[in-house]
Formats: sequence, structure tokens, C-alpha cells
Amino acid sequence: MNRPLSKQLLNARFFLLLMIILFLTPTFFPSSAWLFSFATPLLNLNTIFLSILIEALPFVLIGVLIAGFIQIFITEQHIQKCIPKNKFLAIIMSCVIGALFPACECGIVPIVRRLVSKGVPIHSAMGFMLTGPLINPIVIISTYMAFGNDLKIAGLRMILGFIIAIIVALLISMLFTGTQFKKGIRTNHAQHGTAKLSFFKKSSNMVNHSIDEFFDMGKYLIIGAFLAAFVQTFVSTKTLVDIGDHFTSSMLVMMLLAYILSLCSEADAFIGASFSSIFPTPSILAFLIFGPMIDFKNTIMMLGVFRLKFVLSVLTIVFLVIFFIIWLIAPFL
Amino acid sequence: MKFHLQQAVKAVILCAFSVMIFNLHATGEITKLINPKYEMLSKTVAIIFLVLFVAQLKRIFSFSNHRNHNELCGCCAHSLVNPPFNWERILSYLILVVPLFTGFTLPTKFLDASIAQKKGATIMMTNQSQATKKDEVASRNEDGLLEDHPIDPKLLEEKQEMSKKEYDLLKQQLAQNPIVEMTNYIFSVYYEDINNNLSQYQGKKIRLSGFVLKETDLLENQFVISRFLITHCVADASIIGFLTEMPEAASLQEDSWIEAEGTIDIGYYNGVELPIIRIEQWKNIQEPAEPYIYPIDILISM
Repeated sequence: MNRPLSKQLLNARFFLLLMIILFLTPTFFPSSAWLFSFATPLLNLNTIFLSILIEALPFVLIGVLIAGFIQIFITEQHIQKCIPKNKFLAIIMSCVIGALFPACECGIVPIVRRLVSKGVPIHSAMGFMLTGPLINPIVIISTYMAFGNDLKIAGLRMILGFIIAIIVALLISMLFTGTQFKKGIRTNHAQHGTAKLSFFKKSSNMVNHSIDEFFDMGKYLIIGAFLAAFVQTFVSTKTLVDIGDHFTSSMLVMMLLAYILSLCSEADAFIGASFSSIFPTPSILAFLIFGPMIDFKNTIMMLGVFRLKFVLSVLTIVFLVIFFIIWLIAPFL
Repeated sequence: MKFHLQQAVKAVILCAFSVMIFNLHATGEITKLINPKYEMLSKTVAIIFLVLFVAQLKRIFSFSNHRNHNELCGCCAHSLVNPPFNWERILSYLILVVPLFTGFTLPTKFLDASIAQKKGATIMMTNQSQATKKDEVASRNEDGLLEDHPIDPKLLEEKQEMSKKEYDLLKQQLAQNPIVEMTNYIFSVYYEDINNNLSQYQGKKIRLSGFVLKETDLLENQFVISRFLITHCVADASIIGFLTEMPEAASLQEDSWIEAEGTIDIGYYNGVELPIIRIEQWKNIQEPAEPYIYPIDILISM
């Protein structure tokens, strides 16, 4: 297997050269003026694409670091001890943990993947995934501010979101068992003596896992961010809004918007608020609850881990439950 | 000693992400992407990438007489040290390289009128004027105390965060000013207040700058003088702007920047009452260095 030393050195040199080039790239095109002739839409697309990435990266990195931590430090025994045997209790618990856990929808998929591979039942994991990005202090405050310092929308968003997450998780528990991982994604069945390793060694392993996790999830994040940026650059909100003149159609339009815009749950309240005069409150609520639970970017990331059939089912269930619940309570709003 | 190409590729990519983000900060391009409030967060990301890069370095070489660490780490779920370098993997690395490539080579730009139209600028405008008016009326009656007071200089010390009380005070004091001077810092405060208390601002002089946005359903002599409000990153930008009227509107280029002075009046658009500015003086200006405006965060004391 050992290649001649000269070849290895060549590889190493190539690697170094590549790094130097990368470092120098900015100085090659100090003004990039020659590229300004590029079509404006493309530059708009690129700007939005990069901005979504820059915005999402902190949360993704936190997500992969937590995933790495779970992988190395949490054993299956821990999880089996913590999660109640009763399905309903397990779901409630996971939804509460999700609500307490300040996550963003882009960082949560790697965490969910690790949890499931460590033996967390799929319905609990989904409960956690649905409440994590939706219910947290930053989202509450931004929603409160965006709607003219009114607690009603922020409160409804949290309470309804919590109830909806529980219902969705219950439905998933009836329909699906097992990990629902797609082929090629393995779960770890045993821990061969991790306990023997020193804390330092474990931490170093955790970082390695986080790096691999980043490379596993990064590509889906990038595809998702690109598609969301594409929609923002080329699809007009106005045409969508023109469709939604009835109550139900306006709800559908707002949910579709929430899905394709893939906004961060901490910022979507302001966009939601900007529609509050053209659409009734229930439609705005549907936008605010659907977006953080599942969106375009998130779906692509989930497809990187779970089976297509499972992802589509979760998407459909979340959509239907939100639609139905909000339709039910609409007369009281 | 053995060289692992794939681990090296990963190291290069991690390093490149870090360099790209640092580079965006160094060139100031970052202000075209996110609200400056989040700059620290994004710098932290660059540092984390750098740390991950350093951690990755030691995986590039392994000593063949040693068993590689993955067998010791106790988990079979993870990739082997040297998984086959097949097309699928090459593709996934290529995807990761895309933002690096565009980030290094393509210039970022400030959003323009075409994006504003996609986002439905006029929709956002009409809604603002209908937003909650109820509590404003009440608070306005207490203003008597503040009459003729000059603006407290402390309030204009461009703080990006303030308590609700300070914010209300700032709003009240701004409302006392004889001329509405829409500077970047207080643009959103004024915008909200004018839309909520239109009748109190009617007839007041206003001075503002923004880019020209035209919509097909506007009259010949109308356009929207608009700005982007960035909450977090440019992907969540919303448009705030005023419907504006002046005879020579037709000659204005869309996307060009103007500085204008005029009077606030009540107008209608699609049957919705909203502020309209009748322009008296205007001139073309260069796009400012900071074309975006950012909301002021209100700290909630529970």
C-alpha cells in the first residue's frame, strides 16, 4: 500500500500550493472589476446565497459540534435511561427539551441524526426537531417586536406550535418505527470501550466527528441555501400574493412562502409581519409555525439522512396538521 | 508515513471557509451580507473553522505502523480514514467548493430595485400603514410633558439596542421635531411612527434619501423612494419606502439614488390610506456607503 516517498511528497506539495493559492486569491482580483460585467441577477443570486450561508453557518457549526459531543460522550445506555418507555410521555419530553433548546432549523438536523443513531425513537427525535427552532427566547422576542410589541401573535405561535409538534410526533409514532435512515447511513450498535479513553482523546475524537459531520451535512445546506436564494431572486412574491385572496388559499400561499423562502426562524417574524395587512391572522400564523418546522433548506438536509418516503411523509403530516389546526381555531382569532 | 489525500482536501476546504469569512470582514464586503450586529458571530465562525482546520491537519498524515485512531475511537458509524475517492465524494466536495469559489471571485453587491420588486415592495408598504394603530393613540396623549424639549443627545448616540422606555421616548422626541430628518439611524423609527400616526405628520416637512423604485401600477408622476431594512441577513431584507409624487418622476432612472425634501400628505394606493410625499426639492446622489438600514432592538425587561 505504501507509495514511493517522492509521490507522497508531491501530494503534500500540491496540497501546500493549493492553500497558498487560496490565501492569495483575494490579491489576484483586488477589485474584481472585470467581473462586474456579469449579469446582475447572477450577482444578486450570489449575494443572497452567500448571506444565507454566512447567517446559517454559526448554527450549523454549533449543530455539528453538539452532534460530535453526543456521538462521543453520550452512550446508548444514557439515552435508554432518560427516555420514558411510554410513547406519549417520550414525545412530551422531547418536545419540552426541544422548546428549551435554542436551535436553528439548519443546525438541528445533524443533532437529530446523532440522537436517532444513538437509539432515540424516531417520534421523539421528530418532536425535538419540530419544537427546537420554533420555540426559543430569541424567536419569542423577535416575533413580539415584529408584531408591534403585541404578545398575542408571539404567544399563539409558541402555544399552537407546541401542540402541533406533539400531534405530529404522535402521528409519526403510529406510522413509523426504526431509524428511517436511508441506505448507507449506519447506526452504531455497540460502544467498544470508549470509557477507557482519556478526556483529551475523547475531545479530539469529538472534533474529528464534528468535522466529518460538517462535510456530511454541509453539502445539503449549500444546495438548500442555493435553491432558497434562487427562489428569492427569480420568483416574485407578488404573483403568489395575487393567488391568495380567499381565506384558505391565503393560508396555502403563506405556507408555501414560508417553505420556499427558508428564512431563519429568528428573522421570519419581520417578513411575516409585512404581510399582516393583506392576509388574515390565521394565514400569518401558518407562515410563522410552518417555516421553522420544515422548509426547503431543511428538507434537503433531511433527505441527506432519512429515506425519501419518510421525509415526504413528515412534510405532509406537518403541513396537514398545521393547516387543520389553524383552520379549526381561525374563527376564534 | 502515509499521506491521506481526502483528509487533506477536507483541511483545505475548512481553511478556505475560514479565509473566506475573514476576507469578507477585511474587505468590508460582509456589510453587504449581514446586519453588522452579527459580525462578531460570523468572526467566531471563522475562528471555529480555523480550529477545525488545525484539528484536521493531524489526520492528513498517519504512520502506517500505527493503527489509525478511528479503530480506537469506538464507533463504527463513522467514515474510515481513507474511504474510496469515488465520484460521489468528489461531487460532494465540489458542492462545498461552490460557495468558496463564488465568495472569492464574484463581487457581492447591494440589493437593488429588481429584488425589491420580487419581494413585493408595494405590498409591504401598504401593510405598514395599516399596522397596529391602537396603542399609539393612547401614548401620544401624554406627550404634553415633552413639548419644546430639544432632543436628548444621549438618545441619538446610535445605540443599536435600547429599552422599550427609551425607544418610546426617542419616538416622542422625534415627533416633536419641526422637520422630519430621516437619517439612517432613525429611519425605521420615523417610518413606523409616520405610518402609525399619519394625521399628526400631515403637512410636516420631510428630508430623506433612498433609491427609486417604480411599479407598473403607479401613476406617471409617482415612484417609491425606498430602502432595505435588514434584520439579520440580506435574505430577510424587507423594503420600507414612501410613495412619492413629483412632476418629473418619469425622468428618474430606477435604482438611482436621490435625496429629496418635501411635505408629508395622506394619499391612497389600492384603496389603502398611506403617507405620500410631495417633493419640492431633490437631487441625484451617489449610492451611499451604507445603503441599508437596521432596526433598533428593543430590550424587553420582563
